[in-house]
Amino acid sequence: MIEVRDLSKSFGGSPVLRGVNLTMEEGKTLVVLGRSGCGKSVVLKHLIGLLKPDAGCVLVDGEDITSLPERKLTAVRRKIGMLFQSAALFDSMSVERNLAFPLREQGMTDEKEIDARVAEALDMVGLGGEQLKMPADLSGGMRKRVGLARTIVGRPRCVLYDEPTTGLDPITSDSINHMIRRLQRKLGVTSIVVTHDMKTAFHCADRVALLHDGLVHFDGSVEELRASKDPVITDFIEGRSDETD
Amino acid sequence: MITALGRTTMESVQYLGQLGMLTWETAKAMFVAPIRWRLVLQQVIEVGSRSQVVVAVTGVFTGAVFAAQIYFQFQRFGMASAVGSVTALALFRELGPTLTALMVSGRVGAAIAAEIGTMKVTEQVDALRSLGVHPIDYLIVPRSIALMVSMPLLVAEACAFGVIASYVIAVPMLHVAEAPYLRYLNNYIHPSDIAISLIKGFVFAVIIACVACHEGLETSNGAAGVGRAPTRAVVISSLAILGMNLILTFALNIIFPSGR
Repeated sequence: MIEVRDLSKSFGGSPVLRGVNLTMEEGKTLVVLGRSGCGKSVVLKHLIGLLKPDAGCVLVDGEDITSLPERKLTAVRRKIGMLFQSAALFDSMSVERNLAFPLREQGMTDEKEIDARVAEALDMVGLGGEQLKMPADLSGGMRKRVGLARTIVGRPRCVLYDEPTTGLDPITSDSINHMIRRLQRKLGVTSIVVTHDMKTAFHCADRVALLHDGLVHFDGSVEELRASKDPVITDFIEGRSDETD
Repeated sequence: MITALGRTTMESVQYLGQLGMLTWETAKAMFVAPIRWRLVLQQVIEVGSRSQVVVAVTGVFTGAVFAAQIYFQFQRFGMASAVGSVTALALFRELGPTLTALMVSGRVGAAIAAEIGTMKVTEQVDALRSLGVHPIDYLIVPRSIALMVSMPLLVAEACAFGVIASYVIAVPMLHVAEAPYLRYLNNYIHPSDIAISLIKGFVFAVIIACVACHEGLETSNGAAGVGRAPTRAVVISSLAILGMNLILTFALNIIFPSGR
């Protein structure tokens, strides 16, 4: 469904991506791993056209989206939902209005159907009945769940997760990991999860890609990742730096 | 020094280019994308309705102070009756639009830059885009239309309050004869003076909207960036208003010559 070819991107003259190649299989979960600042979120933002690459392309259903103007990306973006690292809820709107927003923007006008779709999405993330709360009244984990509900309410074919467990306690993180897996099974969506949390990677991934020095250093199954003797991979999995006390 | 001057010039040209692009994109969006009238109405209430007290107070004190000062100078030449017409002319052609724009820039421009800036750094602008909504259609167009509709009305309000205040200062308080005061006012104020104030109000609205929205959309560096955005929006739009006022004064004087 999505293919990344030779993607390169620099910020302020510093190269972040130096020719990334990735293929996302339909209905599977790809976890993109890498150290903080290695360009994982940058890859994700290219997949939905939020960033334009310096070189390379992103193909969505065979169409190169990198050259599309902003207004023509709307159709692509309705196929792909994104959960932002901060959840990015609209803080002037209640939970209900946050979830109804993409539906109304897609032209849905039947309020009963909107209410039903909002309730269904909230139930899927375990927050049924929380429609009237404001984002400021929600905990970090709840915000992520509402953000995810808003992402899936429009029934996208692919969901992008940007650091879904960052800043959450281990139990909430585990619950988010289960939810990603559950939604993938229930909705059959293609999922791409960007994280540096190994628990998330091992729990959610059908396939893992490791970004290192602006390139895909490893691309394979979880078993292959675990079995690897490559020091870059083993250091990352075991959380080992070069520094000493 | 030459390098620094060159860099500043380049940055200014680049900034003007970005403002020009945003203005063009916004104008285009008003015709190619559906306008969200509910948001426009909300913004008219926020921008126009809630600015009325500030603008009315500005008009009252400007009219009152200007009338008193004109009286103190003109009475020496036996021209105290001209206080009303001179004050009204100054209010309609210069003080009303400029001071209203500066006040609205401080109240509304700063709020717009802070709100959009906060949305930018908390990824809400990216979230809008990811949901297939163009930020210009959703954030910029409603605010721009609201300002373009509200500003001429606010300018008219400031001028009206200023003229009333100048009357109160001149006639009941400083004992200027009422009949010649009103005759001068009637003879020297023309519809073209009112047109100038409304046109200036409209142009200043475009400046405030573009600068404030641009500063909001360009916000980065978290809370520090959000803190800087309103300040930059107010400073840049105020300077642009003052500069544009000079250009408009000459241009509009050609279109609407004084005394006709």
